[in-house]
Amino acid sequence: MSTPSPAPSRSPEINAGPPSPHLVQIRDLVYRVAGIFQPDNKLRLLEDRCGRRMQVLGVATVREYYECLTIKPIRQAEMIALLNEITIGETCFFRNQPQLDALRNVVLTRILDARAKLPLRHLRIWSAGCSTGEEPYTLSMMFLEEMSGKLKGWTFEILATDLNERSVAHAKHGSYGDYSTRNLTPYFRQKYFTARPDGLQVNAEVKARVSFNRVNLLDDARVAFMKGVDLILCCNVLIYFDVLSKQRVIQHFYNNLLTHGYLFLGHSESLYGVSEDFRLVHLPSATAYIKAEKRQITQQVKI
Amino acid sequence: MSQASEVLVRKLEGLEKMPTIPVVLAPLLRYLDQPMEHVEIQQVVDLISQDKSLAAQCLHMANSPLFGRWQTVDSLRSAVLALGLQRMRDIAVSCSVLTLLPKDAGHVDPIVFWEHSLGCALVCRQFARKINFPDPGKAYLAGLLHDIGIIAHLWILPLEFAATLELAQSQHIPLHEAELITLGVTHCETGRIVAERWHLSPDLTTVLGCHHFLDRAASHRDLVALVSLSDLLCRMSGLGYGYPEERQVSFTEEPGVALLIKECPTLEAFDWARFTFELEAYMEEVHRIVNLLYRPQ
Repeated sequence: MSTPSPAPSRSPEINAGPPSPHLVQIRDLVYRVAGIFQPDNKLRLLEDRCGRRMQVLGVATVREYYECLTIKPIRQAEMIALLNEITIGETCFFRNQPQLDALRNVVLTRILDARAKLPLRHLRIWSAGCSTGEEPYTLSMMFLEEMSGKLKGWTFEILATDLNERSVAHAKHGSYGDYSTRNLTPYFRQKYFTARPDGLQVNAEVKARVSFNRVNLLDDARVAFMKGVDLILCCNVLIYFDVLSKQRVIQHFYNNLLTHGYLFLGHSESLYGVSEDFRLVHLPSATAYIKAEKRQITQQVKI
Repeated sequence: MSQASEVLVRKLEGLEKMPTIPVVLAPLLRYLDQPMEHVEIQQVVDLISQDKSLAAQCLHMANSPLFGRWQTVDSLRSAVLALGLQRMRDIAVSCSVLTLLPKDAGHVDPIVFWEHSLGCALVCRQFARKINFPDPGKAYLAGLLHDIGIIAHLWILPLEFAATLELAQSQHIPLHEAELITLGVTHCETGRIVAERWHLSPDLTTVLGCHHFLDRAASHRDLVALVSLSDLLCRMSGLGYGYPEERQVSFTEEPGVALLIKECPTLEAFDWARFTFELEAYMEEVHRIVNLLYRPQ
């Protein structure tokens, strides 16, 4: 019996054949070590990023490169180099729209409901690892948009910190080129920026809500001052830390967040296996972490 | 149940407008239910080939990475040989369900519901494998068919259902909650009626009837819980009914998890974050394959 034989349509990834098992091993290793996951549809991208590093190292196969990440003496430095490749070019305004939508449509409402019991109508947001400032300025614009809506009668401030002094200086200056501003809609571009010869300049109204500081997240004394925060965004920062350092930073986040506080990580970034202080929650097309309430019980069990 | 709801249920019991179970599907399921040593590949190929359009759709699907295929297969026979009988059954059932969709459902795009069902079936199968659920094949079928009640609504109550969807979209609430407001019944009740009419197995009937109301399931609660969780995960990950449900879900606190842990203890330390990130690849491919099958160029 003959069967119909339409020309089967395939996506480009399939034409290139199955991913190398070593590439899948690298994906799993990166998730285990850094907590950032590359789904199957991003494996070609990961392969490309590995390819760049393989070229630098003069390594011929993915299998050999996997060894560079696992058994060679350079493994720790190489993992950081690969993570840099994975997250390269990630910084821009409105980088993760589903996360921002979830924050504005679901989380903000929940935070305001919880805060309604407190006398002060003021929100504190911390952008931890703010790089050159696109994230805190995005939040500032988004919250300003809500000043006549959900945030009517409220004030807010955004604390933005980064380890890199040059990034902080860039952020304070607030001038951005085409790449950073590629996701800006004409509405936001017109309302919150001024065109200058060196790029788009963030308006004073947006800047006034953000304070930038150079802070090392592992500097216990400095971080301890970031108290009473409603929301922390820490995207693609923890991935560079080892488990112990991650746990230290997470502990600070836990202590600094108010009871109803939220922690947002980067796209496909997870705290699995790192901390039980936070509980994963699902929002529309995004995930976040909230403070778990069983800390006391856990400690008692340990005793 | 209110008087209006009773009237509605009577209307649903007629179900005259809705197509019956696809012609190929019932004999195929019966044939593949017998012991594997008695199954002949050519017989399966012949059964599917009775419906040329179904056969062509199966072939497209067989070439998708959703079914683990990386080399092109260009005939049904090579697809069955390469993928195995169970995957071929999954593919055939999936394509059969597509034939159930009404071509015109007014302002509602019916393909969204098939996209959700296919996505849910794949998530059910993968979730089942990850937590060592005894029958991933059954999980796939249950995921695929769980929302048949919605398809029945599209056939029988197109205007009322369009209003329901509009309410759910504007309020960003789950569809079954909107159905309760506008119709007085949900697609679970309707799904149960369809399942009984089609003589589906008791476990599938329970899934169709209880996936939003776990406490109503008197048996097969683990399968119902698995489908319910997969369904919720799909809806929270953008593979729902075409609109975001603006709410927050903590999977570890979902009643389905507590229920399923008894059967699948690995669920206790389950990495929900990673599983959610993995879905990104599913969504892209489900969207591609659905458009390919439903809107061929």
